[in-house]
Amino acid sequence: MTRSKLANGRASGFLTAQIHDMRPKPRRLFFLALILSLAIVPLVAVNLHAYSDQAKQIGMHLKCMCRGCDMSAGGCSHPGGAFSGPCETAKGMLNDVDAHLAKGETQEQIIQAFVNQYGAIVYVEPPKRGFGMVAWVMPFFYAILGIALVAFIIKKWLKPRPIVTSGSGPTISNESLDRLRAQAARDTED
Amino acid sequence: MDVFGSFALLLAFVCAVYAFVGGIAAIKTRHPLLVKSTRQAGIATCVLVFLGTVSLEYLLFTDNFSVAYVVSHSNRDLSTFYKVAALWSGQEGSLLFWSCLLSVYVISVLIAYRNKNGELMPYVGVVLAGVQIFFLTLNNFVESPFKTLAAVNVSGVMAPFVRMDGNGLNPLLQYPEMVIHPPNLYSGYTGFTIPFAFALAALLARYPGEKWIHLTRKWTMIAWCFQSLGILLGAHWAYAVLGWGGYWGWDPVENASLLPWLTGTAFLHSVMMQEKRGMMKVWNVWLVFSTFLLCILGTFLTRSGVVSSVHAFANSQIGPWFVGFMAIILVVCFAAYIKNRDYLASENHLDSLVSRESSFLFNNLLFLVACLAVLSGTLFPVFSEWFSGSRISVGAPFFNKIMIPIGLAILFLTGVGPLLAWRKTSPDSMKRNFGWPLMIGIVGTVIFYLLGYRAAWSLVCLYLCVFVAATIFMEFYRGGKVISARSGMNIIMGMHELAMRNTRRYGGYVIHFGMVLIFVGLAGAAFNKDVLKSMNMGDSMQIGPYTLVLQSADATAEKNYTAQRMIIEVLKNNKQMMLLYPEKRRFQGDNQESGTMVSIYSSLREDLYVVYSGQDPDTNMPVVHAYLNPLVKWIWLGGCIVVFGTLLALAPNRRAAIALSAVPEPAPSPVVPALNPSVTLGEGHD
Repeated sequence: MTRSKLANGRASGFLTAQIHDMRPKPRRLFFLALILSLAIVPLVAVNLHAYSDQAKQIGMHLKCMCRGCDMSAGGCSHPGGAFSGPCETAKGMLNDVDAHLAKGETQEQIIQAFVNQYGAIVYVEPPKRGFGMVAWVMPFFYAILGIALVAFIIKKWLKPRPIVTSGSGPTISNESLDRLRAQAARDTED
Repeated sequence: MDVFGSFALLLAFVCAVYAFVGGIAAIKTRHPLLVKSTRQAGIATCVLVFLGTVSLEYLLFTDNFSVAYVVSHSNRDLSTFYKVAALWSGQEGSLLFWSCLLSVYVISVLIAYRNKNGELMPYVGVVLAGVQIFFLTLNNFVESPFKTLAAVNVSGVMAPFVRMDGNGLNPLLQYPEMVIHPPNLYSGYTGFTIPFAFALAALLARYPGEKWIHLTRKWTMIAWCFQSLGILLGAHWAYAVLGWGGYWGWDPVENASLLPWLTGTAFLHSVMMQEKRGMMKVWNVWLVFSTFLLCILGTFLTRSGVVSSVHAFANSQIGPWFVGFMAIILVVCFAAYIKNRDYLASENHLDSLVSRESSFLFNNLLFLVACLAVLSGTLFPVFSEWFSGSRISVGAPFFNKIMIPIGLAILFLTGVGPLLAWRKTSPDSMKRNFGWPLMIGIVGTVIFYLLGYRAAWSLVCLYLCVFVAATIFMEFYRGGKVISARSGMNIIMGMHELAMRNTRRYGGYVIHFGMVLIFVGLAGAAFNKDVLKSMNMGDSMQIGPYTLVLQSADATAEKNYTAQRMIIEVLKNNKQMMLLYPEKRRFQGDNQESGTMVSIYSSLREDLYVVYSGQDPDTNMPVVHAYLNPLVKWIWLGGCIVVFGTLLALAPNRRAAIALSAVPEPAPSPVVPALNPSVTLGEGHD
């Protein structure tokens, strides 16, 4: 491993001790690493956020439309991208949200504006109206159907069995007795 | 070697067809030689698939860049370790890997039962061969991994072509967990083929009794264990590699892996109803059918491009094949059920609503509702496009809202169900079993509240976790106490002995306890925090009690990638704690993709999760994204316990030896035989 220490900030003794494996490696790799790392020397400290926190909150309800990450615009970290933070598309969307906020629009109006622009695919979760409502209703439908089914089954299974009485003493066969014993054993096992 | 691999797969296909057709003939004619030869053909199929898989792996190891698959998924600089993973990183290779894992199960079953269950096994062999034929069709004729490159040469003729190097492996897959996550998940998916084959075979053969359930219990548990482990490893990979601070995003591919797990879990519970009471026979058969169908549906979703997902395979024309296969399975299952449904007649009778039986009914109801909710949410974008003309996305917030109440209800039943008696539970028994756990739950919740966990759903979840853990502990304690009193061993050894005498039951409790820990971890998600900041050297950021100071940065160059690394000093209450080294990697190859190596300080209370996001594209400054995720470690801990519990449940019961105290020698009697010094009880139920 060729590890070139670059920006030394406030490196302390214990810090340098942590950087190990300073074994020499091919020169080509070293220069490649050097060139790459030179690029990370910062020039000026600026705030990453060009958008407001409110925009980020509203962005959590909007899907990042880069089509590469499937995350919300507010929570985009674009896994696999060169920059694992909000991608350019997400940042653009959040800046647009800020522009809408500046016009005094409500969250609903802003989301609707994005739906008008991108279509229903921009929703992070289905809207609770129109066809989107179906997505919300379905789980309740399954639950109600299931409960009704279980109630029906329980009612059916709870029906008392007719009691067979015999006037002339026990006539149970040995086979039946064995079966019942096995059943009793199973019932009391666990 | 590519020719050898192709030929092996082709021969495997021929053997599978023989095993299928010959198997049907063997069932009809009952000719012993035919039965034997079809079984041997089944075994040969598996061996040939294995050889085909080894061939592809050999091509990857030897950098044979005349093969298209090797070019697409490997390169010379890729380490040997990841060349193994390249086998399943692409569509063609992963389908072959699927066939290979399926073959491992099939050959194990065919050999293990070669001299047993003569009535049933020919049917099982036919079903297994049918499934193998489908995947071998894909391996041979649709998505062959042995396609070679060709190009038009100077004389205008198509000729073989060899690339100098390959494109490399997707960087997101170059992580140790990715070498074990897919094999686990695939082993889960393919493993459910065995209970499916036995269930369908038993139905077709009208195999008497519950024997197919006894035969497949272990196979089902093995598949379930792999599926659970695969899901958890996938979650951990997403957490540790993707750098988004989460472990489960309700992505369609994640959901696809959860669906068969839900029905498989329901089956593992409801199967007890059939074993103990001869109930729910139809239900169990259909649960197994559904689980297998969901496995196929899962791989269809991953590979067809029907739903968009970050970790789906590239779109291909493979979708219709899977749809056709699912349709055939459904038709066969329905036909078998309609023809032989009288065989599934059960003696259904419930003595009381408050009983183990009804708890299993509700347990199954909840698992099924959960499965349908996830399924319909996953497919909703497709349905919305069909019905309304516009695709409506369904993301994580939807699934969280729907699944949290269902999950909590399942957690509640996890505590209640096992303590209800079969047939009927008396009020006294309920008071005895639930009194203390309810109280301990309340105390635990107050403690969590005081510790700052104050979100409503999380508190409910944590209450249930403590309650369920208390019920489990009390079960162990009571049983251990009895054994301890009888045998004189201490209570801990008594609990150990108890678990070993009935591994299935107590293994189940251990699994439940593992699930409780997972729920504790999930409850923490409500309290996640994150800070994203561009930082100069020496700058600091605050997150929760931690101060992060960017000390310095360095770079490294490996064979296959170059990396930038931030060195971040972590202070807690102004006290130096540690250094974290989040890293951003840039991989070589045509795509020049990037990956993150997250640096995590993990404790039982919280994870400090630090990502170096890369340079801000606007300012070129390093950007650090820090997350504070409470209780996440409990999820991984719970996962380990779930696996341990499954292994315990799979272990054979220890025979209980109860030593009787010495008694005076009885007078010789011709009628009463003398007692042995110890009485060895038979094996408990499994």
